[in-house]
Amino acid sequence: MAIFLELFLSGIMVGSIYALVALGWTLIYKCSGVLNLAMGELTLIGAYLCLTYYQWGFPFPVALACTLVTGFILGLVTERLFLRRMIGESILAVIMVTAGLSFFFRALVGFTWGTDTVVFDPPVFPREPARFFGMVFGQVYIWSFVAAIVLLVVFVWFFQRSRWGLSMQATADDEMAALSLGVSAKRVYALAWAIAFMAAGVGGTLLGNINGLNISVGYLGLLVLPAVVLGGLNSVPGAIVGGIAIGVLQNLSDVYLGKLTQGGVKEIAPFVFMVIVLLIRPYGLWGWVKIERV
Amino acid sequence: MYLPSGVYHETYGASHAWWQTGFVRGKMVLLVAFVATLPLYANLYVVSVANIILYTILSALGVQLLIGYCGQITLGHAAFIAVGAYATAMGVLFWGLPYPVAALVGCLLAGVWSVVFGLPSARIKGFYQIMTTMAAQFITVDFIITHYVSRVGGREHYFSLPPGTITIAGWPVDSEVKVYYLASALTILSMAALANLLRTRVGRAWIAIRDNDIAAEAMGVNVVAYKLLAFFAAGVLAGIAGAVWIPSLLFVSPEHFQLSWGLWLVGVILIGGIGSLYGVAFGSIFVTGILELLKFAVIPLSDVYPALTERFLYVKEAAFGLAIVLFLLYEPRGLAYRWQQTKNYFNLWPFAY
Repeated sequence: MAIFLELFLSGIMVGSIYALVALGWTLIYKCSGVLNLAMGELTLIGAYLCLTYYQWGFPFPVALACTLVTGFILGLVTERLFLRRMIGESILAVIMVTAGLSFFFRALVGFTWGTDTVVFDPPVFPREPARFFGMVFGQVYIWSFVAAIVLLVVFVWFFQRSRWGLSMQATADDEMAALSLGVSAKRVYALAWAIAFMAAGVGGTLLGNINGLNISVGYLGLLVLPAVVLGGLNSVPGAIVGGIAIGVLQNLSDVYLGKLTQGGVKEIAPFVFMVIVLLIRPYGLWGWVKIERV
Repeated sequence: MYLPSGVYHETYGASHAWWQTGFVRGKMVLLVAFVATLPLYANLYVVSVANIILYTILSALGVQLLIGYCGQITLGHAAFIAVGAYATAMGVLFWGLPYPVAALVGCLLAGVWSVVFGLPSARIKGFYQIMTTMAAQFITVDFIITHYVSRVGGREHYFSLPPGTITIAGWPVDSEVKVYYLASALTILSMAALANLLRTRVGRAWIAIRDNDIAAEAMGVNVVAYKLLAFFAAGVLAGIAGAVWIPSLLFVSPEHFQLSWGLWLVGVILIGGIGSLYGVAFGSIFVTGILELLKFAVIPLSDVYPALTERFLYVKEAAFGLAIVLFLLYEPRGLAYRWQQTKNYFNLWPFAY
C-alpha cells in the first residue's frame, strides 16, 4: 500500500510537468486550431537554453527567467515566420508545417548541443531524498511539482481573468465574433505560441533537472499528446487533469505491468489507454462535441 | 484533359485509356526503357541511390493512398512497413519459406495489422485519428517489435540474413543491381495496380470519402467498410516496401522504422503533391536527390568546419524539415502541380491560355 501511494504521488509530481507541456499544447490548439507536433522540440530548446544560461553562471531562478523571456521571443518569431501564412490552410498542411519545424528544431538542437546527456552541474536542487510518513521522494520532484503548480495557476489565472486571456478565449470560441469586437486574432495566435514556448521551456528544464538532458527528452512532446487527447483537445483544465493522469498511469503501469512484460510498458501505456478512451468517448473527457451536417 | 488537335477517340476504350496519344505512349516506353537499362551504364553509387528512391516510392504509396485519396491522416505508416519487413525476414529465417511466399505473408499480415489500427477511424477523424496512428507506431515498433519480436531466436535487436538466403525461383537476389530490378518491377506493378484501383468503384468511393465523408454516406457509400479497405490496401503496400527492404540491406532493426520515418513519408508526398500518383515519384526523387547533393556540398566545407561531417545526420534532417516547411508555404500543391503547369505551358505555347 505504501508503495502504491508513493508511486501515485510521484506520478502526480511528474504528471504536473506533463500538464505544463500539455497546457502549452492545448493553448495553441484552442486559439488557432493548430496541432503542434513540434512541442517536444520546444521543450528541448527551452531546456538547453536554460542549461546554457546556468552554465554561464546565472543563478537558477535568473536562468529560468531568461529562458522564459527567450522562449517568449522565439515563440513570437516562429509564429511570425512560419505559421502566420498558414492561417486558414487545411489541417494536414498546418500539421505538417509543425512536423517540418520539429525536424528542423531537433536537428538544430542536435547540431548545436550534441547527443551526449548533460546535467545541471552543480545540481540545482539538493540530492538528499525527503521522507514523509515512510515514503521517499527526491527533492527535485517536490520542487518541480511546486514550480509546475505555481506556473499552472499563473497560466490559468492569465487565461481566465486577464484581458489578454479573455481575448484568447473569445478567439477560440468564435473567431469571427472576436474579430468584429476588435480582438486582433493575429496577436492572439502570436501570444499563444509565445506562451506555449515558455511553458514548454519550463517543463523541459524541470525534466532535465530530474533525469539529465539529451535529445530524447524531445519525445516528451509526443508523450503529452495522450494527456491532451484524454482531456479533450480544447479544454485547459482537461489538459492539466490529463497530464497528471498520464503521469500516474505511467508510474503504476511501469511497476505493476512491467513485471509481466519484457519492458517498455512505461512508454506505451498512455497511448494504449488513450486509444481505448477514444473508442468510448471520441472527443476525450472534456472536449467539445462537434456535430456535423452537410 | 489536354489533347492535341487531330486526335479523336472512336471507342469508349480509347477515351478511357491511360495513354491517349502516340507521343505519351512513346514517352512511357522511353521511361520503361530507361528504368530497365539504368544499371548497364550507371555506376554502383547511382544504382544504390535509385534503390533508396524506389524504396521511398513504395513506402510512400500507401501514405498517398490513405492521405491523398481517402483523407485518412496517418503518421504511423512506418509501423506497417516494419511488420512487412519483420514477417518476411522471419519467414525466410525461421520457417524456411521461399522469399516470394514470405513476402506475400508479410504483405497480408501488414494489411491485417493496419486494419486493426484503422478500426478507430470508424468513430474518429482529424486530430484524434493522428493520435491513434501514432499509437500504432509506438505499440507496434517501440513495444512489440523492440521487446518481443527482436528477441525471437536469441538475436539481440536485429535479424541479419546470411547472403544467398533470398532467392526467387532459384535466382539469388544478392547484389545492388538485382535488388534494383526487383524493386523497380514491384514499384511499377504497385503503381499500376493502385492507379487502376483508383479508377474502379472502390477508388471512387475513397475519393468521395476524402472529399466529404458525410455526403458520401448519404450517397450510399459504406464509409466504414471502405475506410477499412483503404487501411488494408495501404498496409499491403507498406508490406511490399518492407519486403523490398530485406534483400537490400539483409538485416532489420527497429531503428529503421521510427516515427520520424512515418513523418518523413508524409513530407515526401507533400513535396510531391497530395492526391497524385506521380507526385509520389517526384517527391521521392526530389527528397533523396537533394539529400545526396547535400552530401557533396558538405564534403568541401568539412575542412573549414569539421562538425558538419560529424553531425551530417542533423544537417540532413534540418534540410528536410526546412524543405517541407518551405514547400508548404510557397508551393502547397507540390511538384506534381508544377509539372502540370510546365506541361501546359509547352502545350499552349505560344499562347498564354
